[in-house]
This record gives sequence, structure tokens and C-alpha cells, in this order.
Amino acid sequence: MAKASRFLRNFCIIAHIDHGKSTIADRIMELTGQVSKRDMEEQLLDSMDIERERGITIKLTPVRMFYNALDGNEYEFNLIDTPGHVDFTYEVSRSLAACEGALVVVDATQGVEAQTLANVYLALENNLELVPVINKIDLASARIDETKAEIEEVIGLDASEAPCVSAKEGTNIRDILEAVVRCVPPPEGDTDDPLRALIFDSYYDNYKGVILFVRIKDGQVRVGDKIRTFLSERTYDVTEVGAFAPQMQPKGVLLAGEVGYIAASIKSIEDVEVGDTVTFADRPAAAPLPGYKKVQPVVFCGIYPLDGSKFGDLKEAILKLKLNDAALTFEPDNSVALGFGFRCGFLGLLHMEIVQERIEREFNLDIITTAPSVSYLVHKTNGDSFYVDNPSHLPPPAEIDYMEEPIVKAEIYSPPEYLGSIMELCQDKRGVYKNMTYLDERRVRLDYLLPLNEIVYDFFDELKSRTKGYASFDYELAGYQRSKLVKLDILLNGEVCDALSTIVHEDHAYRRGRMLAENLKDAIPRQLFEIPIQAAVGGKIIARETVKAVRKDVLAKCYGGDITRKKKLLEKQKEGKKRMRQVGTVEVPSEVFMEILKTNKDRK
Amino acid sequence: MAGIYLHIPFCKQKCRYCDFVSFCNRSDVAEAYMACLLKEIEMRGKELAGRTFDTVYFGGGTPSVVDPKYIYAAMRQIKKCFALSVRPEVTIEVNPGTVSEQKIATYKRAGINRFSVGLQTAIDAQLGELGRIHTVRDYLYCTSLLRGENFSADVMLGIKGQTQEDVKKTIEIAAGSGAKHISMYALQPEDGTPIYTDYLNGELPDGDEVAAFYDFGRALLKEKGYRRYEVSNFCKKGFESRHNLNYWRRGEYVGLGVSASSFFSGRRLLNTTDLDEYMKCILSGFYPVIDSEEVSAQDARFEFVMLGLRTAYGVSAAEYQKQFGSDWKQDFSAAYKRTRSYLEEEGDITRIKDEYLFVQNQILSEYAL
Repeated sequence: MAKASRFLRNFCIIAHIDHGKSTIADRIMELTGQVSKRDMEEQLLDSMDIERERGITIKLTPVRMFYNALDGNEYEFNLIDTPGHVDFTYEVSRSLAACEGALVVVDATQGVEAQTLANVYLALENNLELVPVINKIDLASARIDETKAEIEEVIGLDASEAPCVSAKEGTNIRDILEAVVRCVPPPEGDTDDPLRALIFDSYYDNYKGVILFVRIKDGQVRVGDKIRTFLSERTYDVTEVGAFAPQMQPKGVLLAGEVGYIAASIKSIEDVEVGDTVTFADRPAAAPLPGYKKVQPVVFCGIYPLDGSKFGDLKEAILKLKLNDAALTFEPDNSVALGFGFRCGFLGLLHMEIVQERIEREFNLDIITTAPSVSYLVHKTNGDSFYVDNPSHLPPPAEIDYMEEPIVKAEIYSPPEYLGSIMELCQDKRGVYKNMTYLDERRVRLDYLLPLNEIVYDFFDELKSRTKGYASFDYELAGYQRSKLVKLDILLNGEVCDALSTIVHEDHAYRRGRMLAENLKDAIPRQLFEIPIQAAVGGKIIARETVKAVRKDVLAKCYGGDITRKKKLLEKQKEGKKRMRQVGTVEVPSEVFMEILKTNKDRK
Repeated sequence: MAGIYLHIPFCKQKCRYCDFVSFCNRSDVAEAYMACLLKEIEMRGKELAGRTFDTVYFGGGTPSVVDPKYIYAAMRQIKKCFALSVRPEVTIEVNPGTVSEQKIATYKRAGINRFSVGLQTAIDAQLGELGRIHTVRDYLYCTSLLRGENFSADVMLGIKGQTQEDVKKTIEIAAGSGAKHISMYALQPEDGTPIYTDYLNGELPDGDEVAAFYDFGRALLKEKGYRRYEVSNFCKKGFESRHNLNYWRRGEYVGLGVSASSFFSGRRLLNTTDLDEYMKCILSGFYPVIDSEEVSAQDARFEFVMLGLRTAYGVSAAEYQKQFGSDWKQDFSAAYKRTRSYLEEEGDITRIKDEYLFVQNQILSEYAL
């Protein structure tokens, strides 16, 4: 029996957004000589432009390092950086499954945050050894002792020996590495067993095909091996294996306990599923690894190409994103106003935003997205019941007996002075108050039950603006609840525009309808005829606005020198029209479909 | 039909809305420039020998700001180098603040038989607003010198502070002064002009107000016997500008002088807009052309429809058939179908309905390529 190396440590970092996770990762890499300070790009692991710009981590990113510990031995570290935001919990759980330990980073000025706690529980479920780290001790407002006490109280971890560091200044980083050596156990597993490798991520490389990011649990894999996955019949020849340095660095073999990548000329994107297990084609393991629990998307929206002829490109883009973002779901969809596109499901609003942005940036596609929706449970009068996330798939009101909507358990953390304002907001969003706890004199936790449908609308923005950004918020699904829901339609010049329909609570329909009509009035350009904009519920008009007919658009003069200019102007205008969608007789600019997402500050 | 355009790029002062090529501090080179113009006339005259031209147009800038002897010399050169038809229409743009009895007399001797007078508005404060150098009294003096002549007055809509009453007064003064032709056009705030800032600041009347002025002005002009023959042009019967009609019928024209554009032999040309560059080219014996584009068959068809629909006359299917050998409604079937409700038909003629003439970009852009 050949055991996995006892000088190997696989660990990840758990932290709330902005508690310094990526900076700590950078310092660790610097200290282990993985990257020289000179080559150092800030936040090396956040390789996506979006990640750097927003200062958040979206994707998990693995990196291998070597560390000469004080005990005189050299250790191999595999660090897997993970996202902090609630929407990416799924990514976190995937990286946890590839590790034996986790650093729990807590900001000494902020204390333990909701999201940290959520991920700590995830880590405990995965039997990970936890190492608390207190960061930002360089700040004047750092409260090291209080933070330690809080870690012990709230998380239940012994923090007496927790490394106290400043990632920004590079203080005490070595303490972290020593703690990893001391506390995180080496991996188990046998290098002689049949191969079992957990796919925790993947992406598509134009030359090498699908690249699998794996944690080898048992056995070993090298170039030339014939492999297959448990879910797919197809077999592949391994063309390259390697480690993350953090760029991919080929090596001869990956052994049990190690983290690395496998390339095997896998051309078909559909063949790979994250969470699946890789094994040998001719000597397969008896059973796959447990994998991940399938995540259910909770927020949905339609994504359409701005230019209708680019549907194929959009499909390709979504398939490739899916490879690298297992939580994204999609199915083809067809809208009268927007043509062919996809109905996509996301783990949350931020996830949705990120996917939209990645499609536009990484694939250079202009897209139109429809208003986010949630999945409703519809009970028909004939006894049928089913889920509907697309408002235009809702049966006519007469056929609906009743509907249920998803409810979330929301935890809101805030300084006490904003409590009134937050309560008012939750009230406004049909929230049901559950509990209020003072964590200390500066922080209160509010528990509410809230309909998810209200959260996908403008809850985040409102919460942020009402608390000057001080409140943080986390939620988890808490089942379905019967509710009075109606479909709000928008009619342009008398015709329903399917892409603008939404499902709202009956009591909010009038307010939302009026607001939408007002927003659309400003967003739809004047045309040769008057355009009535109507909001309707079940055929009853509840709001009406009018886009007046245009009265002047002519170029006053058109003499000898003006002809070419006028011709170009008209051509440009026509080009602009191509970016418009035709709803009946009305030309609607693509941006209008996003207008529905906008909040109205003065709606009262 | 064919026309000759001459650009005189000098002004006493730049109007605040003007984005034409004109210079207000270069009177020092007027003589040299006019000499170059004579040379360009000669060059083009040779190239276009065999064509007959029906109209000549001195535009600017302010053609009336330079010594009239230059205009006289240019006309003499034109007659020498180009074949003109029997009764050519020869127009000069005049600024009411720059005329004298002697100037008008010289113009007439030169063969000029039509005058385009820049009135713009009959409200002195608004003339000041526009940066015009003249007053309403200057206009009245100018037109008194032109009594009995064929002259046109410009009326501008959309001036800061303008009211319908002001539009009424302006049209009454223009009509009362004996203008046979009135151009009534909307101020176009062009990026880079001082008035563009006013526009951005929302100080100019908005599109709806201008449209209301236009509708009002159109009715008043009709009442006074001026009929509309193009979006911005109105005249007493028989006093259409032949020079401008030629543009809208896709007739050929040769443009001479800095920034002038030409259209002949299926090409559109543009002269340099740089005054010194223009003179250098001419003196070296080169055409000062900076842009030359062959009009494709497709483009030509679109131009024909675009320009035709600007006029009250409209697009003639027979004329189109004659020029292009096809049916225009077939060639533009999709656009025609989409815009049909805004068009009216009379025999083989199609025109934009009266009430849509002022919003024709929406209609014409459907026909764009």
C-alpha cells in the first residue's frame, strides 16, 4: 500500500467579501516564492477582468506551492481560492470537497459575517479542519481580542493561537503557513488503487479541448492513460497532466491526494459534468466519489442575442460558460418580441449579473436580458400543478386555482441606527418579521421571511441605499407559500409585449404597472404615430401612458454639399433601427427590455 | 439640367449657428483666393466642355462681403469657360448688412438675376442672438434696392426666445418686402458651433415648438400665395429655385472653391476645406479634391428616392424607370410597404403626405441601404 504523501496539504480560504481573502492568497504565494514580488499582479488568483474590477472572487482558482517549514521539511501546498458571495456557495462547496482544511479569515475591524458562518458550516459538513486567521490588524480600528472572542462564541473555534496578520502589509504571513502544516491533515488515499479523481471545475481550451480540474482521491494518472468518467461512456487518452503554478504547469504524474488538471482532447463540452469522477477505462474503480449535490437555480431570466442572427454564437457561449460554471442552467426559449434565445437559471442575482457580463465580455456578444423571475408553483383548477418561471408560460387566469411562490429566510446584519429603515423596507417587500438579536452594541441581526420575488426585484439596491452600504444580507430558500399573484402585461400600441410581462403580487400590481408605464414612456423613442403604453392585469388596464408622435426630425437643408451627409445620416438611422425590436408596429430599442429592471426612486 | 456652385468663404463675423467653411479674419487673402477661383473655373471648364449649364450660384460664407469686382470677374470667367444655356438663373447670397446700391448694380451687370437675402428673423434681439451683423432695417434697405428683382428671403425657426408671433412678423416682413421666394428652415444646432451649447442647455425651442412654428408658418405662407415645393422652400408660382431643384432631381453640378462639392459623371467630389491648401493645390495645377466617390447603382437609386421625396412634386415612377430601368416600388418593396401609409399617390407620382413632410427622416431611413 502506497500512501499519499504526508508532506501534502490541500486547503482553501473562507472569508466574507472584502475581508482580504485574495490578498492573503497573494501573500502566501509571494512567501513561498511561487511568484516573485516583481511579477506580482495584484490579486493574482482573480484572473477574470470582472473579478479584478469588482474586487470579488467568482471562480475558484487552484494553485500549487512549496513551503520549507520550521520543522525542516518541505511541504507541497495546494491552495484553492474560493468566492465569498452567497450566490457562489456552490463553487465553495466544490472546492471544499477537494481540500482537507480551510483558513477562516475574519476581518479584525468587522468581525464574523453571515456569509463566513454559512461557509464554515459547509466546511464542517465536509469534515474540514478549520484554521481561524485574523486579518487587517494594521488598521487603527482593529479589535483583535474582541474578534478572537467572537470567533470562539459565534463559530465555536479555538482562536487563542489564531495567526493575526495584515495581508496588506505582509505581516505574520508565515504564521498562517505554519498553522496549515500543524493543523491541516495530509490527504488520505492510496496511489495503487484504481483511479478516482473528482472533477471540481473545467473550462474549454481552444487547442487542448476541455481541461478538467481534479482532486485525485485514489490512484494516479499520467499521460497516455485511457480514462473515462462515470456519467459518460466515451473514453479518452490523457494528453497532459499538471499542477497549477498558478498557471498550468505540465508534470509527469498526478498522485492520490494531489490537485491538478487533466487534458485528454475532450472536444464535446456536453460530456463533462463537474462533480463527476474520472477513472480508468480498462480498470475502473468500483464506485464514483460522492460528487456534489445538484443545485437548484432560484433566479431566472431570458437571454437573447441583440442581433437575432447571432443565436448560434450565444448558444456556443452559454455552453462554454456552463462548462466552467456548473450552477448555470439553461433551455432554449422563444419570444415574440425578442426571437430565439435562452431561459437561464441562476443561483442568485449576482450570479445572473456575472453570467451576463461574461457573455458580453468573454464572447463579445451583445445581449438582451429580460426581468429576473423566480419559479412559481401553479395549481390549475383541473388539479394539475407545475412550476413556471417564465411569465409568458403562465396559463390564463381562469385556469389557475392558486399559485405558490418561493419564500426565503433572510438574515440582515446592520448597525442599529438603520433598523427602522430596514424594517420599513422589509414591510414594503411583504416581509414577515421573525426575530431580532443584538450581536453587540454595534450590530443587530434581523430575521425575516421574504418572498424571493421581491428580492430579485430591487431589494439589494434598496437595502444598500437605505443603510449607506452598512447592512449585509444573506438568505436561504425556505419553501413555498400560497400567494395572490398576477401576471402584469405591458401593451404597446394595443399589443402585448411578451418580453415585458412579469409576475407580481396583486397588491403591488397597480404601483408596478404605473411605474413601468412611466419608465417605458421615457425609454421608447417617439415614432410617426402616437403609442399608447398600457399596463394590464388579466385584460384589465391599470395604467396608461402615451409616447407622443414625433413632429420634427427633418434635416432642414439639403443642397449640393448636404446630399452625402444626409445619405449617411439616414444610413446610420437605419443601422440604429436594426438594433430595435419590432413589437407589432412599434419599434422598441433593446435597452427598453432592461428598463423593466430599473427601480423608481420616486414611486410613492 | 446642370448647375455651377461657387463658394465665397469670407464673412465679417461668424454667425453663432454656422458650421459652413467661412473665415472672418482672412480678407487679406480674398484677392488671392478669387484669383484661384478663376483658375479652378478654367480647369473645370476645360474638363466639362460640351456640357451646358443652366444655373450659377454664389454661396458662402458671405459672397456679398467681397468687393463686387471679384464677383463680376468670376461671372465673366464662367461665361468664358462654360457653356451656359440661353437664360441661366444666376443667384447670389447677400447679407443685408453688406449691400450698397453700387454692389447690386455691379451684380446685375455681371448677369446675376436672383438674390437670396438672409433675413432669418424680423426681431432685432434675435438677430443679435444668432450673431447676425444686420438689423431688420438693413433688410428693408437691402430689399428696397432689389425692388422688382427676383429675390428670396431666409426665415429661420427655432431661435432662442422665438414665439409664434415672431414667426408671423418675420413672414409678414419677408412677404411685404416683395420676396418671390421664401426659405423657411429649422435651425440645426451643429456640434462645435456656439449655439450648440445653448441647445445642450435646453435654451432653444424644442422640436415640438419648432414643428408648431413650421405648421403655422406653412399655413401663413400659403395664405400669402407662397406654395411649398420642398420641405423648406416656398415660392410664388414660377419662382422655384432652378439651381436647388437640380440638386433634388439628381442633376449634375460642379462646385468650385474651398469646401465645394460636385456631382458629375456618376461621382461625388469634395474640395478641401482648408483655405491655404485649396490655394496651394490650384496654384500647382491640381484639383483640390479630398474626397471622390463613385455613386453605386444602388446608392443612385436611393438618392433618387430620398431627394425626390423631399420635394412636393415627389418621385416619378416613369422618371425612375427611365433612369434606372426598373420599378422603384419593386426595388424598395420592403421599405415601400412599411411606409405606405405616410405616402400619397397621384398617377405615377408618389409623395410624402403633407403632414409627414416634416418628419420624413423616419420614412426615408427605411429606404436607406
